[in-house]
Amino acid sequence: MDFQLNEEQQALVSAVQTILQDHAELPQSARLQTHFFDHALQELLGSTGFLNVGRELGTLAAALVIIEAARIPAVIEVTGQALILAQLVGDERLRGPVALLSERDLPKAHRNLPIARTALIDVGEDVAIVDVEPANVRSVESIYAYPYGRFVQMPDLRAARRLPGRGAKLRQWWRVGLAAEIAGAAQSAVSFTISHVKQRHVFGHPVGAFQSVQHRLVQCHLVATGTHYLALRAAWSGEAYHADLAACYAQQHVQKLLVDLHQFTGAMGITNEFLLHFWTYRLRALQSEAGGMIEAALSAAGSRWKPTEVSRAPQIAGADTSASPR
Amino acid sequence: MEFGWTPEQEDYRKRVRAALGELLPPNWNGFYVPQSYASDAQIEFSRTFCAELAKRGLLVPHWPKEYGGNNGEDWEHFILGEEMKAAGEPRGPQYMNVNWIGPTLMRFGTEEQRRQHLLGIASGTVIWCQGFSEPGAGTDLAALVTRAERHGDHYIINGSKIWTSYARKADWCFLLARTGPGRKEISVFLVPMNTRGITVTSFPGLIKDGHLNEVFCSDVEVPLDARLGDEGGGWKIITHALSYERVGVPRYHTGLKALDLAIAQLKQESRFDDPVMQSRAALIAAKFEAARLLTYQVVDQRVKRAPQTSDANLCRIAALEAVEDLMNFMVQYVPDCLAGGDALLEDYYRINVPAGITGGTNELQLDLVAKRGLGLVRK
Repeated sequence: MDFQLNEEQQALVSAVQTILQDHAELPQSARLQTHFFDHALQELLGSTGFLNVGRELGTLAAALVIIEAARIPAVIEVTGQALILAQLVGDERLRGPVALLSERDLPKAHRNLPIARTALIDVGEDVAIVDVEPANVRSVESIYAYPYGRFVQMPDLRAARRLPGRGAKLRQWWRVGLAAEIAGAAQSAVSFTISHVKQRHVFGHPVGAFQSVQHRLVQCHLVATGTHYLALRAAWSGEAYHADLAACYAQQHVQKLLVDLHQFTGAMGITNEFLLHFWTYRLRALQSEAGGMIEAALSAAGSRWKPTEVSRAPQIAGADTSASPR
Repeated sequence: MEFGWTPEQEDYRKRVRAALGELLPPNWNGFYVPQSYASDAQIEFSRTFCAELAKRGLLVPHWPKEYGGNNGEDWEHFILGEEMKAAGEPRGPQYMNVNWIGPTLMRFGTEEQRRQHLLGIASGTVIWCQGFSEPGAGTDLAALVTRAERHGDHYIINGSKIWTSYARKADWCFLLARTGPGRKEISVFLVPMNTRGITVTSFPGLIKDGHLNEVFCSDVEVPLDARLGDEGGGWKIITHALSYERVGVPRYHTGLKALDLAIAQLKQESRFDDPVMQSRAALIAAKFEAARLLTYQVVDQRVKRAPQTSDANLCRIAALEAVEDLMNFMVQYVPDCLAGGDALLEDYYRINVPAGITGGTNELQLDLVAKRGLGLVRK
């Protein structure tokens, strides 16, 4: 048990932070938008090998990069490329960025679809892999702080390439990835809000001088920190049970983060120019992914307690029960 | 960064479990555990159990050899604590000796005090109680009014303590008393409970018998060398001691065990096919796992002798959220646990009734993290 980064991990994190720092400020043109996908940064992370980290340095290293990337206000797609592809297709190279979606929601709008070149689709037991042609995606307006889009023509999943029996693995690593993204974005959102409440005065005192505000901010800090370690442990262990716990912990607390952080930033916090939404509405978007909190929880319950009927949703029920929960 | 146990740590855990298997009587779960670890029966049991643990090198493995330990790593002590708590804490009140009274004496005691007390604790036969709370001073501990007045070569102590778990069976009290007019001019005294002038009465409450006692000190005379640390320097000692207390109890471990017990009962009654129930249980497990990792992180800081942070306070907050959810789950789905049902679940519930109060209230933990962890000042 060692909670300090080793030399290799420290070097990795420092290196990715160096790149991300240069992109931490949003361009002026993006400051009033609901999201900003940083193409240049995406390219740079790809060309410098950070999107290949899962293959080269393993899943924990990939999760560390996901957390760091999620700290900045801009969107970059790291989870699919750095973590999930390595777990599903090994050394085979597929085009990134990657969109992650579920078959049951296929006609709806999907996170990252407008920027994606590959879609990994959870079809229950299997995973379907679909090439995404930009012309076949229509962008959708959303206050979620990711690009969203719909397929113009629905992909033919019967004809799509399949990864047989890999559905549970996709859901597992999707959950690890979303928990890591929530951890990074939540940590930034909490820090951003703390800076605000130290400066903004009400009734002659900083907002953050009031005990009722302080206590709730500590609880938000706890959520961000707890998610951070749960995500990293799930990445380290490779156990589906740990992934389920990380996701359901992270997703059950998104509401708390959203309510409190926007409450303490008041009317300023609901304006785009204030920037908070670049993190909080990424958290909101991740709240329902990979089946959301309830399906992650049911999967965890299935692993830990093996109830006779685990889940209402057959396509999610095939959780990896080979894990040895602690 | 990695989250695994070393083979040595795994072996150590097996050794602790084997000792528990060997030393706990067949009626442990049926007779002793439901009475709670503060009961007279468990306290007496702990004197023989801990003595046996000590013989096996499993009572204070992390202490230095000169004080009866084995120079073991902090993780061994923590693994030991997890297993003992999960087994219903057969060390009784002696968990407190090992967790914070001993380490505090090591840090602040004179050589003579260390020799006198640490070897006693390490032998597993001495019971201590904690003389902190008073009728008018709980969360605001510095408001205590018990006074120790110096008279030449001794102090005279007058006042009363309340709550004081284990007091009626304790051999020693780690007692706080005011020695000056300043708010934090408090000193710590190591007082034998059979000293003339000390009386103990017990009273009933929501937690089980043995926890709620009142200790009256009426002209209790103690020698100067009964004082731990400098006169008026007790606040630093208390702060140090409480930081051990905050991560000393692995609440995630006992909580997950209680959750497993509740679900075993629900499965037996063929009721655990309800997805709402299943998902609620898993959400609680996730909170306990977050508390576990936050606690391990603090232990890791201690192993590395890193400066203390407010992370120990954060652990308490995390564990409490999970404990409260679990208590609510139990009452919703296995309500008979508080009315003649599973005695182990009842014990878990009742021990945790004051979980948000003991060792510094939850609000105090939140205040400390806000100030030290987030840098927020109060108006």
